[in-house]
Amino acid sequence: MDEASCLLGGFQGSGVETSMMVLVKALAHAGYSVLAQREYYSNITGRHSYILMRICSSREARSLSYPVHLIAALDSETVFTHAFELTEGGLLVLDRDLFPRKLREVASMEEQLRERLERRLASLGVGDDIESLVEHLASHAGVKVVAFSYRSILSSVGEKRRIPPTQVNRYLSSIIFSAVASLISLKPLYVEQALRSHFKGREELVANNMAVFEEVSARVREAKASLELEQPKLKWERLLVASGNDAVAMGKVAGGLRFQSYYPITPAADESLFLERLSYDESTESLLGPLLVLQVEDEIAAVASAIGAALAGVRSSTTTSGPGFDLMVEGLSYAGMNEVPIVVTYYQRGGPSTGQPTRGSQSDLFNAIFAGHGEFSRVVISSGDHLEAFYDAAEAFNIAEKYQVPVIHLLDKFLANSVTTMPFPDLDKIKVERGNVVAGGEGYKRFSLEALVPPRAFLGDAIFWHTGDEHDEYGRITEDPENREKMYRRRIEKMQLIRDELPRERKLTVQGGSDSNLLLIGWGSVKGVALDALEALEKEGVRGAYVNLKLLWPFPGEEVKKLLSSAEDVIAIEHSYGALVGKLISMELGVKVEKSVVKYTGRPITFDELQPALKKILSGVEKRVVLKHGA
Amino acid sequence: MGLKPQDYRTQLWIDWCPGCGNFGILSSLTLALSELSIDPKKLVLVSGIGCSGKIFQYVNVPGVHNLHGRSIPFATGIKLSNPELTVIVHGGDGDLLGIGAGHFVALGRRNVDVTVILHDNRVYGLTKGQASPTLPYGVKTKALTHPNIHYAVNPIALALASGYTFVARSYALEAKHLKEVIKRAVQHKGSAFVDVLQPCPTFNDVHTPEYYKRITYYLDERDWDPLVRNPDEREAEEKLLKAFKLALEEERLALGVFYQNPHVPTFEERLAERFKTYPRASPATSPIGRESRTLLTPETFQKVFRDYIVETLQGY
Repeated sequence: MDEASCLLGGFQGSGVETSMMVLVKALAHAGYSVLAQREYYSNITGRHSYILMRICSSREARSLSYPVHLIAALDSETVFTHAFELTEGGLLVLDRDLFPRKLREVASMEEQLRERLERRLASLGVGDDIESLVEHLASHAGVKVVAFSYRSILSSVGEKRRIPPTQVNRYLSSIIFSAVASLISLKPLYVEQALRSHFKGREELVANNMAVFEEVSARVREAKASLELEQPKLKWERLLVASGNDAVAMGKVAGGLRFQSYYPITPAADESLFLERLSYDESTESLLGPLLVLQVEDEIAAVASAIGAALAGVRSSTTTSGPGFDLMVEGLSYAGMNEVPIVVTYYQRGGPSTGQPTRGSQSDLFNAIFAGHGEFSRVVISSGDHLEAFYDAAEAFNIAEKYQVPVIHLLDKFLANSVTTMPFPDLDKIKVERGNVVAGGEGYKRFSLEALVPPRAFLGDAIFWHTGDEHDEYGRITEDPENREKMYRRRIEKMQLIRDELPRERKLTVQGGSDSNLLLIGWGSVKGVALDALEALEKEGVRGAYVNLKLLWPFPGEEVKKLLSSAEDVIAIEHSYGALVGKLISMELGVKVEKSVVKYTGRPITFDELQPALKKILSGVEKRVVLKHGA
Repeated sequence: MGLKPQDYRTQLWIDWCPGCGNFGILSSLTLALSELSIDPKKLVLVSGIGCSGKIFQYVNVPGVHNLHGRSIPFATGIKLSNPELTVIVHGGDGDLLGIGAGHFVALGRRNVDVTVILHDNRVYGLTKGQASPTLPYGVKTKALTHPNIHYAVNPIALALASGYTFVARSYALEAKHLKEVIKRAVQHKGSAFVDVLQPCPTFNDVHTPEYYKRITYYLDERDWDPLVRNPDEREAEEKLLKAFKLALEEERLALGVFYQNPHVPTFEERLAERFKTYPRASPATSPIGRESRTLLTPETFQKVFRDYIVETLQGY
């Protein structure tokens, strides 16, 4: 096998995320490419959380897929919830002490799932306890069960390492990453290095975790179980292990960010946390200067203070999700009116309202493009993967400052919370272009009508005014109709300038056969899974291309039109109900995009479900497929 | 520098109603700025929405007229980005204590070195006379259909409770007193709040100049000492309690400084404890690129993001 899907699960607060980080780093040391996505509840502790990951030995891991080859479970809820996701002959690692647990005893499980599982178990004639389920999987699906007592591992390690009994439970989640690492036969050195990196040199923790690893490895050997994954063939010396939040934060730093405001919200807050941690690091400060990360009282203050910072000449940004963005909208309209270059990083989650705070979605496309009263120029960009997110986060500031517009970098939870092995970015590609900046001076006109993008001075350099009201060239209120017409037109016509000047690769990228009749079109985190589905289709003789739309607004109409004109089948793919990108194309080009694959459960589109959905559409059976898989 | 008060004024015609208290605030402000000899370029006047907000374009300094209620976060972003600037916020009672009350409290918590001047006329003038958060219960001003059903917020007590380290009250028609209070507020290091009582001749027919003349009195600093002189907390607590008590007096309204504590570190000072270079280097003054390129080189990138870098160990 040159790739595998794994699932790690446990209750929230039990260290599932730590397990993921350690495992991804260990796999990276070995040279594998990994994509790992975290699914979790809006909850601090107790509810079910899991990691779905894809490990590839000879190509980049860019999508997730079911069924999984391996499940490592910390608790019975994980076993009940995901047992049927195992592939024929898959591996199930679990705690032997859980065998008597019954489905109805899993108090944290939601009613709907419990009822579905009860019906399923009943229809299969399987008892509602872990032991019966495990026996069924072993006998009917060839599942290899690796069961041992987690408690005995912990007490043995506790004794050996003299860990106080009250603290030994902290190492529970070490069992699951150890199990996966052992089953893949990762060298202990890789695990140790990963632990050292994760625990930042706290050797005691590294040694304790390694003791767990050794115990678990022994049990895995006893069970004679292994995951036959090929040795990595990827040629890289070093890489980054980062989440989407991390990649964006790194890109912002490279792009010259000096002020970031935020109000805590999932799935955006981790980005600010990254920046805050970094900003107080002495070596960072000596290299870059002060980077202010300010937690404010609400998202209104977040956007307002970011605008204030930008007026003072600072590259500023604020980060949020849908509910927070809604609060920022009046500020966005102000930034449009006053031509203030700010960057709003917008991580979508499931709406409307609080919706599904920790689940993913791409349903805010129109909110990003249209929110705000009045007509004004804005730019909305999106990123297809972590590396793109890095470059785009840096470039967003150049676009904002060159055209003096608010830029919305539209991302989503899937990208934000997935951790991947990311190639090193090429820093030569990162430019810092500040546009039409002047020192001011006598008679300075901030809102000069002479050019589409007026000269920008910073507060402290000149005397000039800003107002949300319509204003004259100096920035003073005027309601004069002739001035109104000129100012209004100039502000809006910047959009055409942006459309004309941005290079094609900033507008969209096309991968796959460009001469083909099949065109998949999407944006953001859909990219990886769409490309994998295309590759699989190609093996079956169907050639197609994927259009990764990067500039969502102003809409790159010319470029998209050309692509559409030569395609017979155009299929929009999106995490939404409405396949909004198709509607955007219709609105801009007058061309109807009638075929789509959508998903709005809050879980990501996976490879295994996208490929058949596309085939269904291509064979003419369906025009629209709604995907629903995933717990 | 020798700038006269009129040098701080623009030539625009002022569109406030005749007799508006804003005229008094504008002239006391420019007097204060001239006496403080502030370089106009290094000052930023941030104002909200309403009659009071229009002051931004009558003063010949950089002005940021912004969203209703949001002057304080605008000012916070500006000041922290470039601490060399003197930042003054002007807002009405509706702006600062109604729609923007959350930010008003947040500024006190932070003690950013910003001055907030409240134009307190107890009505929403520009929308034709509705009750504002400082209009007392049961009062029926001209444009109300019924007496006010809400109780009023106490601006001084709210400022004290929020943590403002300079809290004062003055009156728009007492030019000299107001000028002095504004000067002290601007000179104070930390968040300063001035509640300026102000008649609205068009919509507030209850709280008139005659009313204010009757109800106000000056604090005599010979027997009222608002300044916390020692950094120990006991004196601060004692003076804060006295200020609270005075703030709750409603029979008569004291004019003057209620409380001033210069010993609380400003937000900027607290940032300077964490950043070695701040405020000498600030976000506004530190370079962000080198010849249109990122400051990061492959070497510094590896240094800054070392925790995220993984070397492959194949062969080991």
